[in-house]
Amino acid sequence: MADFSWDVRSPLDRALVAGPYGVQGDAGVALTEIRNFDLIQVMARRGKAGETAKAAQARFGAAAPETPKTVATADATLIWSGPDQFLVLSKGGKHTMAALAPVFAGSASLSDQSHARALISISGDKARAMLAKLSSVDLHPDVFGVGAAAATSMDHTSVTLWRGDDRNGQAVFNLLVFATFAESLWHTILDSAAEYGATIGHSEDL
Amino acid sequence: MRIICPFCGERELGEFTYLGDAKPQRPAADAGEDAVYDYVYLRDNIAGVMSEHWYHGGGCRAWLKVTRNTLTHEISAVEPTAGAGAAKVGA
Repeated sequence: MADFSWDVRSPLDRALVAGPYGVQGDAGVALTEIRNFDLIQVMARRGKAGETAKAAQARFGAAAPETPKTVATADATLIWSGPDQFLVLSKGGKHTMAALAPVFAGSASLSDQSHARALISISGDKARAMLAKLSSVDLHPDVFGVGAAAATSMDHTSVTLWRGDDRNGQAVFNLLVFATFAESLWHTILDSAAEYGATIGHSEDL
Repeated sequence: MRIICPFCGERELGEFTYLGDAKPQRPAADAGEDAVYDYVYLRDNIAGVMSEHWYHGGGCRAWLKVTRNTLTHEISAVEPTAGAGAAKVGA
């Protein structure tokens, strides 16, 4: 029997070239792909939204989001992804499928999305200007503050977008995109960012 | 045209897909061929206020019932359909 070797690699492994991109000089946009995260989709079963909320509260010590926003807990980020559903983003194996399955047994259906999505973190002076070309959601800080989230589309591709904690006084936008669409959206993002100059990298830190 | 999704807020038309008239109800199993034919094929071409099903596939993936004036595109109501957001609709 043939030997197979399954290498776990990022959906952007091929497309992502670390370093500067576009206009030279001070980069207006920083693009960082976050790798090796755990991502579990939690969807309440019909009529079980209350039970799911209770289970989430007990597990995470915080109420799961019921509107488009994120909830930061000690070791996970809960991201609203639709009515009665949210994503659990974490790392280091704390909230894997095996760990969460007993927590939501009978109340919610879980689906492991860890290797099904790519996570892109976008920051910099021109991050919002760049995203404005791709998204019709108003990302002005008055309406899309830290912790705001949206299930929306960019370039006809479904994405989960949320604003993380500011870094160095600048807004950070996080983007989850389906793995098989990641490369396509990545190139669109690069096209969008080129005029501002971008700095590209990847990280293991959420 | 924009639709105010009850879950996501105001979004552009491109995030939504149109299904059609929200009025037809599936006839009972013994309702007869004419009723089924009517349900499957016959549609009113309404010039005015109409109840429609829209799918927010580019967003929260909920099914919505939109009340829209087909002459002016004015949308007077948007509600989640049964099954979308089980807690809100209770169906």
